[in-house]
Amino acid sequence: MKKHDDKSMWSRRRFLASSAAGAGLIFAPPFLASCGGAKSAASTAPLAGTKPVGGGGPLYFSKFGIDEQALSKVLAEAMGRGGDFADLFFQHRITHYLGLQDGQVDRAYSDIELGCGVRVVRGDQTGFAFTEDLSAEALTSAARTAAVVANAKAGAPNKAFERPGVPDFYPIEVSWAELGIDKKIPVLGAANEVAFGHDPRIVKVQAMMSDSSGWILVARSDGKIFEDFQPMTTCYVNCVAEKDGRREENYDSLGMRGGFEVYGGDRIRDLARTAAKRTVALFDAIDAPAGETPVVLAPGFSGILLHEAIGHGMEADFNRKGTSVYSGRIGERIAPEYVSIVDDGTNPGGRGSINVDDEGTVGQKTVLVENGILRSYMHDRISATHYKVAPTGNGRRESYKHPPVPRMRNTYMAAGKHDPQEIIASVKKGIYAETFTNGQVRIGSGDFSFYLKNGALIEDGKITRPIKDANLIGFGPKVLEQVKMVGTDLALDGGAGTCGKDGQSVPVDMGLPTVLCEGISVGGRG
Amino acid sequence: MSRKKLLDLTKRAARAAQRAGAKDVRAKAYRAREVELEWRDGKLDRIRESTTQNLSLALYVDGRYSGNSTSDLREDALDTWAAELVATTRYLAEDEHRKLPPPERYEGMFDGDLGLFDPNVPNITPDDRLKRVALLEEAARSGKGADRIVSVDSGVSDDESESVCFATNGLEAKEHSSSAWAWVTVAARDEDDRKPSGTGYAGGRFVTDIISEKNLGQEALARALAQMGSRQVPTGDYEVIIENRAAPSLFSHLIGPLSGGSIQQKRSFMEGRLKKEVGSKLLTVTDDPLLPRGLASTAWDKEGMATRKRVLFDRGAPQFYYLDTYYASKLGLEPTTGGTSNLVWGLGDRSAEEMIAKMDKGLYVVGFLGGNSNGTTGDFSLGIKGFYVEKGEIKHPVSEMNMAGNHLELWKNLVEVGSDPWRYSSYRTPALRFSKIRCSGAG
Repeated sequence: MKKHDDKSMWSRRRFLASSAAGAGLIFAPPFLASCGGAKSAASTAPLAGTKPVGGGGPLYFSKFGIDEQALSKVLAEAMGRGGDFADLFFQHRITHYLGLQDGQVDRAYSDIELGCGVRVVRGDQTGFAFTEDLSAEALTSAARTAAVVANAKAGAPNKAFERPGVPDFYPIEVSWAELGIDKKIPVLGAANEVAFGHDPRIVKVQAMMSDSSGWILVARSDGKIFEDFQPMTTCYVNCVAEKDGRREENYDSLGMRGGFEVYGGDRIRDLARTAAKRTVALFDAIDAPAGETPVVLAPGFSGILLHEAIGHGMEADFNRKGTSVYSGRIGERIAPEYVSIVDDGTNPGGRGSINVDDEGTVGQKTVLVENGILRSYMHDRISATHYKVAPTGNGRRESYKHPPVPRMRNTYMAAGKHDPQEIIASVKKGIYAETFTNGQVRIGSGDFSFYLKNGALIEDGKITRPIKDANLIGFGPKVLEQVKMVGTDLALDGGAGTCGKDGQSVPVDMGLPTVLCEGISVGGRG
Repeated sequence: MSRKKLLDLTKRAARAAQRAGAKDVRAKAYRAREVELEWRDGKLDRIRESTTQNLSLALYVDGRYSGNSTSDLREDALDTWAAELVATTRYLAEDEHRKLPPPERYEGMFDGDLGLFDPNVPNITPDDRLKRVALLEEAARSGKGADRIVSVDSGVSDDESESVCFATNGLEAKEHSSSAWAWVTVAARDEDDRKPSGTGYAGGRFVTDIISEKNLGQEALARALAQMGSRQVPTGDYEVIIENRAAPSLFSHLIGPLSGGSIQQKRSFMEGRLKKEVGSKLLTVTDDPLLPRGLASTAWDKEGMATRKRVLFDRGAPQFYYLDTYYASKLGLEPTTGGTSNLVWGLGDRSAEEMIAKMDKGLYVVGFLGGNSNGTTGDFSLGIKGFYVEKGEIKHPVSEMNMAGNHLELWKNLVEVGSDPWRYSSYRTPALRFSKIRCSGAG
């Protein structure tokens, strides 16, 4: 729990994050973040968590006194000054964190978020307010505040509400809401045991798992109401190892929309083993080279390249404003014909999957680049109206405290035709990039970077010495043009990626087959 | 909700937790009103206004610990919540190091005026905000080279907040603060598809901390235009000047490893280096939580412990670790404070511009692009944005370059500290000049 004083710095940080300067991605586990102490919150309050499927039945939020009549009244207030449209975003999200340190599961944090964001849109202008008090008076007052953006006669009254169903890309078997903390504790215990057991050089293990049960309701001035139940779990295992007075640390993470069944089978053991393996591998690593060199990106995690190099630049808000390096390029060739890239909200259990986005567009898959041609940006309702296209289901928000903006979901490149071994064998001198910790992009200039944690040298077509700790940097459009080979082995990362933009964090996933790229500068010391 | 009401709520939640069996409780709450207005290319883009509230409970139950927060402050909901949390906490492993700070740590708390609240902030009107954002844009568009502008975003924000902290072993603390900020970002067209952007920003606790809109607008334009035609320079070792505004992120990599958690978990290259030189004699920095109007000024830290001024680096040698009650106990040391406040630097005589004028050959870094630092080993690799300098003149902007090294070597190469602390960050860094850093780009 942040002390309030931190909070008064919030606006400035939000601005720094939101200025055209850029956007970024991190995999830092919450217990390593610098906010000191407590992400908090608690739990409990198990509330019936059945999945809303549209149609009949009471609204989830009726337990807080919200019915169709209340929604109608607040929407009428929001449209009271003649906005083009308005929406209400109700959210109730309960998140638990459980942590292991020094062999003991001895810390738990929890957080309850309950509130409603009211948005009024006129042209591409947005008025937004939120309240954590769901009384009729507080909601009406928030609606009146948001309506300030408009200044015309009251809009048409709502039609009767309809409640369209939504698809289900993340069915869960074991609900977090009904699961006691005692069932979760052994998961972290197992991670600890496996990581220490993997190698005697491991001296510290930290593990943390989180689970989140979130209910949302979007009520729109066009009379549509959508409800969704959004589960999420993440787990991080972090190891420190010692050898001859030297120390190294590394991690692995998972992030999925699912219930406790996610931890069935060997998943937690694999995660802990991988974290330990990646840590001790660093003892053999030499300095990465410095300067431009061919880079072979390993499948899965390397999708971070797409996220930074082109993903943000294809979010329609930057294009609508004319500030993206991809502005005005729809229909143009931006990559070789063997490159196709999608942003997908439909991957089962995917960390970035959404049944319905945060402004009521049903979850879908969007082709961004098809055989090298730029086909679509990622749209929210505002940018879709601006471009006169259908929204693509990318209108996402961190919580009720924020208005939606275009955001990625699960972003990946389609598989190509090359055998991954053949790709590596084609490189005389270069690097093989495997794991990462973070990335960033400046959307306007197109410059992006991602930080390599584990990799290896490629010499004469063979993987030789491991390398570590180097920032990779490039110019998005140039790197895309210089994708030389695409492998057959597409994989999604499945890690706990969190994307930050406009002062908002949202969960995302990414993926890539083995890819050979040129035009990347490696920030090593060698 | 008044400050008294907030305090009453924390006491209510703490008492409910104690009734359910908690031995000790720390309860904190805040309420903040925030307004933010964003303006783009001559018209309102987005306005956000809200009042937010939160209550958090640190629970100490039978030697076990949990931390919890909620935005649902309905009184009956709080009671149920607190009782359920106590029950959940009992499942955790015991941890002898978890305890509230001893009451003497609350004593001697500064009770004067830190200048954290400006009574003019709540009086800012919608018209004031509109005027300011329009002025910011106008200033950017009236500068030299404005014909290359693609888009101008400007914005202002202001907030007022009340926070309270209550602990069952004898603490009641409160804080009333405000802040106001203004910014403007210009995106401009380069020869190719690149649209580099530049930003000017200012703000602080008081409305008057927002300096001239005119300067900010012109600064944003100048920063965008300065990046036109950027390219790489050959890989090599360069003398490097870091701009005051860019330096906080570099310095943060030296600060993170001083935290108790990093030290205790063996994840810190600073372990065992207290009072030993890790940087040059020019590295002298004080942690000052009582700096008037400081962005990170506060009389109590996140655990409610009374704060005080401490020397952090004395001529290159770190003087203390950031230790909260928990990690201090785990390490068998005395607590200091859980995190940084305002960092006040020993300053030099020259600004970055004056250093550049005397630079023979090197790089002037004005921003970082991604990258990371390994807190365990000290190795870092950071993307850089800046300029190539030769014979005292900026020759051209550089892009797609990195700088890499190890912090234990880097800070020994600190050969000059600027006269120009950056007041819009609590790190308050001046420009920093390093004799040698490995920078990589082409070849």
